[in-house]
Amino acid sequence: MSFPYGDIENPGYRYSETLEIDKLRPSQRSTSFNHSSGNTFPYVPFEDYNRGGGQRQNAPVLIPLNLVRSEYEDEYQPRDLGVELPHSNPYGNAHVNPSFEYQPEFGWMLPPTSHACNIQDADRYSDASERVNIVRRHSRRDSDADFATPSLLRLDPGYMEAKRKEEEKLINDLSTMSSRERVKAIQKIPKSMKEKREIRNRVLTERKKNSHSRDAHLNCCTQCFYSTALSFRQLKNSFVDCLQLFRFWQKTLKDIGSQFGTSIHSYFVFLTWLLMFNVFSFLVNFSFLAVPQLIAAQPNHLSFMGLEFFTGAGYFTNTVLYSGFYTNATIAKIENTSPYYMQLAYIFTIGIYFIICFLSLIYSMAKSFHSNVIMPQMRSGNAAKLLCIWDFSIIGEKAVQMNQKNISTQIKETLSEMRTESLKLPLKQRISRISIHLAAWFLSLGSAVASCAGIYFFCLINLELFLNQENTKLTNEAATLVLPIVVSLLNHVMPFLYSFSSLVEKFTYPRHQIYTAIIRNIILKISIIGILCYYWLNIVAISKVECWETMVGQDIYRLLIADFVCCLLGSFFGEYLLRLIGTKCYKKLGVPEFDIARNVLDLIYAQTLTWIGIFFSPLLPAIQMITFFIIFCVKKISLLMNCQQPRKAWRGSQMNTIFVFLLFFPSFTGVLSVIAVTVWRRKPSEACGPFRGLTTTFEAISGWVSLLASYPSSGWVVWIYHNIIESTFFFFILSIIVLMITYLYWQIISGRKTMVKLLQEQIVNAGKDKMFLLKQLRALEASKLLCLGRQPERDFSLNQLPKEQIRVFLPSCMEHSPWMEERALSTESARYPAMTSFTHEPSQITRNAGVSETLVLALRARQEAEWEMENEESS
Amino acid sequence: MGNKQTIFTPEQLDAYQDVTFFTRKEILRLFDKYRDLAPQLVPQDYTKKPSMKLPYELIGSMPELKDNPFRQRIAEVFSEDGEGNMTLDDFLDMFSVMSEMAPRDLKAYYAFKIYDFNDDNYICKSDLEKTVNKLTRKELTPEEVSLVCNKVIDEADLDNDGKLSLEDFQHMIVRAPDFLSTFHIRI
Repeated sequence: MSFPYGDIENPGYRYSETLEIDKLRPSQRSTSFNHSSGNTFPYVPFEDYNRGGGQRQNAPVLIPLNLVRSEYEDEYQPRDLGVELPHSNPYGNAHVNPSFEYQPEFGWMLPPTSHACNIQDADRYSDASERVNIVRRHSRRDSDADFATPSLLRLDPGYMEAKRKEEEKLINDLSTMSSRERVKAIQKIPKSMKEKREIRNRVLTERKKNSHSRDAHLNCCTQCFYSTALSFRQLKNSFVDCLQLFRFWQKTLKDIGSQFGTSIHSYFVFLTWLLMFNVFSFLVNFSFLAVPQLIAAQPNHLSFMGLEFFTGAGYFTNTVLYSGFYTNATIAKIENTSPYYMQLAYIFTIGIYFIICFLSLIYSMAKSFHSNVIMPQMRSGNAAKLLCIWDFSIIGEKAVQMNQKNISTQIKETLSEMRTESLKLPLKQRISRISIHLAAWFLSLGSAVASCAGIYFFCLINLELFLNQENTKLTNEAATLVLPIVVSLLNHVMPFLYSFSSLVEKFTYPRHQIYTAIIRNIILKISIIGILCYYWLNIVAISKVECWETMVGQDIYRLLIADFVCCLLGSFFGEYLLRLIGTKCYKKLGVPEFDIARNVLDLIYAQTLTWIGIFFSPLLPAIQMITFFIIFCVKKISLLMNCQQPRKAWRGSQMNTIFVFLLFFPSFTGVLSVIAVTVWRRKPSEACGPFRGLTTTFEAISGWVSLLASYPSSGWVVWIYHNIIESTFFFFILSIIVLMITYLYWQIISGRKTMVKLLQEQIVNAGKDKMFLLKQLRALEASKLLCLGRQPERDFSLNQLPKEQIRVFLPSCMEHSPWMEERALSTESARYPAMTSFTHEPSQITRNAGVSETLVLALRARQEAEWEMENEESS
Repeated sequence: MGNKQTIFTPEQLDAYQDVTFFTRKEILRLFDKYRDLAPQLVPQDYTKKPSMKLPYELIGSMPELKDNPFRQRIAEVFSEDGEGNMTLDDFLDMFSVMSEMAPRDLKAYYAFKIYDFNDDNYICKSDLEKTVNKLTRKELTPEEVSLVCNKVIDEADLDNDGKLSLEDFQHMIVRAPDFLSTFHIRI
């Protein structure tokens, strides 16, 4: 509420947006203006050297803007506002403000010297301020503004009253809230800390008063309650501190974010998120599967050689690492306790883990969609981009320079895009572009298919090697390493080849380039995993391998290790060597960029393999945990030493949504289907694993339920099993309900969309209404002034200027009013009356009141439109 | 932090916790940061509420702000005197708004103030031009700058008044999901 007052202090200063004097501090302001030697209005001294002295008396305030405008003349094209900025407006365009806050109204209503109408107007203002009473409108420099206000205003009871009332209302509101809400509300008030603290203290005393009057006799009890609450809060604080201590990477993340900005920061956040995921699954699998198995396990007789770390075979074959080692028996070490069914524990642990994964993925995906892709149908926000683009978290001169350079190239690119957008490409070029795209897609898909075929071929060789026991054990094991190395090489080399296509392929938007690269890479990775799964489920599981679960587990282990090694080599060759080349030999290449998309897709690939492997090798998350941790460290060091931030615009938050989505859609759903096929369709190995002897893995559960059927107390489990899990009817109904809900939401959303569109139109219309009203108002004003012009002319002196300045803005904004035309002719007679003070006429004040009601109406219409918009958003 | 009692009274700390988005520990850490700027000026004991201001030259030289092109504006907006000279309260307030806990509306309000160079409660063309020049280190030609600014006003100005009000700005921010993460100083 205070900002209009702040502006009153010196409108000439405030509204001259283009004046260089703006930059001066308040302390310097006075000195800079003082050279006007006795004149109350600061712009007077400028007039002489722009306009002739002959006009001195007529339009003394016209000159400075001309002065200022000259440099902006060609760029500043007033848009179709219906109001053209007249050259003679001395205050910049703020006074011509058609958006019609009460601020100009107030300025116009309140000539600082006319005491008579002052109080009345201030009262009206306070009314208006009640209507527009928005707490956040407070300027934090309330005290400044107060000081700057003319003293009579500060003494004005109406203003002070309104202010006090509002504060009391705020404090009353706050004191009725719960303490938690109150703290939150106070934190959100955009005021300086001093004021916030004052409000808090007042609220606290208010509450104390209330509570004292209410329950003085409960004093002891409340005290006890308060002390418990206090200690609870302290406990919570220390707990949070401990938690932060545990998150050791927080500091690293901060360093990275401050040096490279949010986009790379988001990659590391994704990495730590996956790391936490793996820690969780490791803890679950270890405590429910590995520990009981270790209790019941027989000693391992195989010898350890060292190559096992890479092959995962040999010594590791008979450890808790692989499912083949788990027993199918019940474990009952302690007497008198119910035995531990390993089969059930295995299937339930894995099943529940996947359900938790599913829910958490859905949750994080929905959350990230909700916060980041709120309204995709909105027009693309270049404006938002410009004002939100600066990453305030970046520290360091070099990073800041880099960022500025990136932004300027981005802006230049966008501008050139804007220019070329209008002129369409000639047909020839378009055809050539499309054919290049087609060729690139054909090549990338073809290479993906070729690599899949190659991998399938290697898989068959691998299986033959495994079945053929003639070779010595060691060479056999080493030979198994061929497949994972080939797969990992393909995985890491192909994306590099794909990225070369960007040399030939030209995209209209750089965004499309990123999306194409991601789609190509994900197709490659998913098809490689798909062909591997086909090999495991359709060839290995049916072949004569003794224990196919263990073999699949070993394959996945090898793949993960090879991928890890390739990742390390990649960051060495791809980043370190490129930097050496770029800085030492071939300077034009420069420091390599950190390729976020490639790195994230690598992570998604590894996580997919881990999920598939969990069923065959329950402790795989432990391996993955370690590798992710090492990757985190290596990438951090490599980033800090070798890389620079990506040059392309990288919408970090939107990309994060896409990555979580990719992790969910092809990756996690694919894993679920693979696991489902394994559980329901494949026969477990005869001789090993927890499910040995069963025809399918799922039989473990159906057998258990039929066992339970004999106990009457557990009849509900049997009922649930038969009527929900096994019945197709239930799933049929469930899917119909889900479809119905989805359809309902779809309809609601489309309804909302049209609503939003209508509301937007309404806002625009409200703006037009305002313009129309203003135009009318000014026309009225002008005709009135013309009438006044015939009255005898008054003596006019420079010292009266402060009165005029407030008046001038209204008439001067008219576009084609007769007043303006006369003005253009520069006829003295027309000009002078325009400058005379109509506020001196008592009758004028009442008319002003009528006009101000129109203004209030317009203001109200705008407010209502805004409230509707807000309601819409909040609902 | 064995000496935490000597810096603030528990009531002061409670008050700070209620009006900022910080925990006790973070407040003490920020106090250390503040004190490190001028150890000889800032007293170790804040229980008597000394009204001490650090001049802008010192505030602007801290590593979090030193290279930020908007550092002067930030300091001006958050300082009570509007000139960038900051008391401890202003200092805490600044980092509280720039912390990741602060809600979008509060951040948008202060971002608006930062970009509103001439304090007229609107982001007008000259403000935008200053912003663009700060963002790009004056690498664009004046024509390009004014083209960009016109484009921005065209796009974000909902009520057609030729400049961006706080409402326009907030509306724009809603569509910029990155804003929350970028308008953030990590400490």
